[in-house]
Amino acid sequence: MPTLVSYIIVSAALLGIGIYGLSVKRNAIRILFAVELIVNAANLNFIAFARFMNPPRVSGQVIVFYSIAAAAMEAAVGLALILVAFRLNSSIDVRKLNKLKG
Amino acid sequence: MVNLPTTPADIIPFIIAVVTSHTFITLVIFPGLIHLTVVVMFLTWYERKLLARIQLRIGPLYAGGPGGILQPIADGVKLIFKEVMIPYKADKPLFLGIPLSLVFLGALPFAVIPFGQHWVIANLDVGLVFIFAVTSLFPSMILIFAWASNSKYPFLGGLRSLFQQVAYEIPMWISALSVVMLAGSLNLVQIVNAQQKIWFIVPAFISFVVFFIASMAELERLPFDLPEAEPELVAGWFTESSGAIFMVIFLALYMKLYLMSSLITVLFLGGWWGPAFLPQPIWFILKALVVATFIIIPRGVYARLRVDLLIKIGWTRLLILALANVFITVVLLSTGILSAWGL
Amino acid sequence: MDLSVPPDITFVVLTTITLLAAIMALQAKELIYGAISLAISFIGIAGFFVSLDAPYLGMLQIAVYVGAVVVLILFTIMLVRREEPDKDESPETGEGAAGLWLAGLLAVSIAGIAALAGPNLPATPPEANLPISQLGPVLAGTYPVPLIIMALLLSGALLGALVLAKVDK
Repeated sequence: MPTLVSYIIVSAALLGIGIYGLSVKRNAIRILFAVELIVNAANLNFIAFARFMNPPRVSGQVIVFYSIAAAAMEAAVGLALILVAFRLNSSIDVRKLNKLKG
Repeated sequence: MVNLPTTPADIIPFIIAVVTSHTFITLVIFPGLIHLTVVVMFLTWYERKLLARIQLRIGPLYAGGPGGILQPIADGVKLIFKEVMIPYKADKPLFLGIPLSLVFLGALPFAVIPFGQHWVIANLDVGLVFIFAVTSLFPSMILIFAWASNSKYPFLGGLRSLFQQVAYEIPMWISALSVVMLAGSLNLVQIVNAQQKIWFIVPAFISFVVFFIASMAELERLPFDLPEAEPELVAGWFTESSGAIFMVIFLALYMKLYLMSSLITVLFLGGWWGPAFLPQPIWFILKALVVATFIIIPRGVYARLRVDLLIKIGWTRLLILALANVFITVVLLSTGILSAWGL
Repeated sequence: MDLSVPPDITFVVLTTITLLAAIMALQAKELIYGAISLAISFIGIAGFFVSLDAPYLGMLQIAVYVGAVVVLILFTIMLVRREEPDKDESPETGEGAAGLWLAGLLAVSIAGIAALAGPNLPATPPEANLPISQLGPVLAGTYPVPLIIMALLLSGALLGALVLAKVDK
């Protein structure tokens, strides 16, 4: 089993990929991909720490249980918002969705 | 583990040791690849004969052997020789790759289903949740395949199939929750072992009915047939598949049928427990085939349900029945009525 | 990292799959390929969970993320399709490079802190003692309030998504 540091490095790499997508991409759905990747990186971190504590605690898994549910909810509501934005503006380019009106 | 062969004289004992090891036998012969293939081919023939007798016909008769038993092989050969037509501007990698992954996903849950006390490939502690996770991947693959066909009939059929399967997954797994509460474990071997004295169909009868109906809807069999209704959608989400692709999808559907029948047997019908004059795996296969018969029979008997009624029943009536049974199970367990049977 | 011990093959394979699929999810030309790569990345993370003695959470991750969230994403992509291919970052303003620098700095600093703190962190994991039967009592016994709040939140999110996506005639 690799050390805890390896898991933190993988989680940090996923976080980096997610932040790159969040800050650079124009398509709202790709930004949602990036947000899901960031949440998954955090989940992986929690599980790794829960396993490597001495004795292993189950509370890390409980947090990830709730985190998976919350991320699913957020994806559902976010996608509904994207649908509404598309209907009103005919575009999901976040640079064009910069007016609060409508 | 056996030692790897280092000299040429070591190779034959190594091969013999690998072939007779428990992992190899369960993985390849029973309940693995060979048994799965044979039973799935048998099920295609069985369905056609059964429906034929219900409809006062005879069914496949000429394909060799008694009663056309080699018909599935004849079908396979015919389908392999047909031309695979890929629609214009369809997404080729997805169109060709998804049927194969459907077969893979249909066969994967068999790794955790126990056919006997030790006849299981992988005795996972979370076996039931593994099956849940894998069967929840089917709707998304069907949606991708339907989209990749780049044509209207498959796309509409794929959307309807997605709605239907997603709607009926939930009552299925809530009724499996009652079984898990009765058995006290998610491990499928322990669930069957807890049914030694009484099959779970008796204390959890409502959830057996709900699971049965929901699995018929998951398999898209009549009367939940709308995604492939012939007068309406030609053939639903696999309209554009022809030749070898259709054969692969056909196999995947029958693998799913056998999977659901085995799952009902494990969860409700006591798995492999039966009087000792037949070995345990034979009891399991017999019970699974009886369940498969009861899943096939409504196809020749009932009419088709309309799609909005279909989805409404899944989300409202079946869900309420499944939750009612969870409540009944909690009451039964807490008042200790079932302690006479060791639950 | 101790380089005298050969790296665990499962870990290397899972890391490669997850990171490559994550990069492909953002860089693929078609959104649908991006969604499928995202699903593969989620399966990789579920593999990580299983290898870290959290099998129930791994299966839950596959069932919820790949079985539900990816389906939602695919559905939305099919509903907001436009015929022209979407161009992402405009090359003349140099945002791609800025994003790479930002993400790279953040990731490298976290990884650097972790590597520097490495000798103080446990190197070999303690023996596994997380049976799944421990998860239930903690969820319902120690943390019942988040359970109820999550149930209410789920109902609220469901109703909210339904109301938002409804087509008003």
